[in-house]
Amino acid sequence: MVQVWLPDPDQTPTHWLEIWDRLKQRLSTGERFWQAGTVAHLLAGKHLLDGRQLLAIAEALAQAQLDLRTVATCRRQTAVVAAGAGYSVEQTLPQTTAAAPVEGSAETWAEPLYLKSTVRSGIEVSHPGTVVVFGDTNPGSEIIATGDILVVGRLRGIAHAGAEGNRACQIFALKMEAMQLRIAEAIARPPATPPDQLYPEIAYMTASGIRLAPAPNFFKSHSFSMATESWVESP
Amino acid sequence: MTRIIVVTSGKGGVGKTTTTANLGTALAKRGHKVALVDADFGLRNLDLLLGLENRVVYTAVEAIAGECRLEQALVKDKRQPTLALLPAAQNRNKEAVTPEQMKKLVLALQKAFDYIIVDCPAGIELGFRNAIAAAKEAIIVTTPEVTAVRDADRVIGLLEANDIRNIRLIVNRIRPEMVEMQDMMSVDDVLEILAIPLLGVIPDDERIITASNRGEPIALSQERALPAIAFSNIARRLDGEEVPFLDLMAAHNTLLNRIRRFFRN
Repeated sequence: MVQVWLPDPDQTPTHWLEIWDRLKQRLSTGERFWQAGTVAHLLAGKHLLDGRQLLAIAEALAQAQLDLRTVATCRRQTAVVAAGAGYSVEQTLPQTTAAAPVEGSAETWAEPLYLKSTVRSGIEVSHPGTVVVFGDTNPGSEIIATGDILVVGRLRGIAHAGAEGNRACQIFALKMEAMQLRIAEAIARPPATPPDQLYPEIAYMTASGIRLAPAPNFFKSHSFSMATESWVESP
Repeated sequence: MTRIIVVTSGKGGVGKTTTTANLGTALAKRGHKVALVDADFGLRNLDLLLGLENRVVYTAVEAIAGECRLEQALVKDKRQPTLALLPAAQNRNKEAVTPEQMKKLVLALQKAFDYIIVDCPAGIELGFRNAIAAAKEAIIVTTPEVTAVRDADRVIGLLEANDIRNIRLIVNRIRPEMVEMQDMMSVDDVLEILAIPLLGVIPDDERIITASNRGEPIALSQERALPAIAFSNIARRLDGEEVPFLDLMAAHNTLLNRIRRFFRN
């Protein structure tokens, strides 16, 4: 069974059409790790969905060969609409945002998200784990990962690794041309003059901020220090 | 099978309406039955570029409301008998129609035309969604500037999310001399970001401005202006022909220009 989570409207208030666009993009560019006809469970949370919107979601999922069967919601209106449309409804209590022990350490990460196409401008990819992009990310796009970010191509947009506070996370790209790099709570801009030659690089957290280093042999010469919570050069 | 193509860009002023008018003219010249649909409600321009503004009686809004038959709203071009225009309303705005209404209207044109080209307004809001409602293919028009390319990239993402995957690119208003001096993005720079197949490259030309003001698409003119040839080539490529791209640098590298550049440097 595949679970489809709609983003929390309190945390990221979005218009229905934006949610629709993001769902379509996620379904078409993300890897399909399910077999045709797998049952899907929609977690609508606090969203207010009407019959037309629910039908549109079901159709989008059907196009991706997912069969929507159940809807979980904490809004009575959505529950009524879903039941009327013939889905199994699970009414949940509205979740209070938990006091965040937001270290985001690796045990809590989800499976890595593989994107196998160009991430275009205006697209925001948010994943509670590592994100791997087989392609380029264009300027104006944003990748937000609780884990690492690996771009097997050109990284030209914004990349935020360790989004929940994990400073050990890193960003790797074959060609690092990012608009902004973010790791945990730090932000860095690229240098004013780009280098003549671009080679694979890793961005990592040091005690004095985010730094770039050539990717090959990085782990032979650096190690993560728990004391300073940053990468240091190995002696 | 009627081909329904939307011409869009995201950014305003890059040449969507000019491209729609000229491409429609070029396709009609090849004998196809072409309908041009202006989806820019409130700021319509397609009728001006075609020189048909005095002949508009009914618009798409009246056709949708049932106040007139669809044939009554279509304006036929006397210079090109197989070309027709479905004008937009000027006194309304983008909220005058819904995507469902636009889709129904455009599909109703299928029976009578081989090509339906929809001129999309700038932006990504309701006007954009109306224009793409019935389309199965898209042509992105961009100029070789970072702003236009950034907006085009966004639009390509939106088109793909709306299941339009046959998307091709026209790079408009390119100046080979600036590209050579690295003052302007090259076609390759644009393709590197947008990564969609190239349909055509149109050079910047003052004659397009005069043609616009006269209401005569440059593709109609008898003289072999480079943009006219470019549009005609694009029409041939849409028909499935393999046409090599014009070597704009060669046209720019005439002996006189080379002597001028030598003295400038």
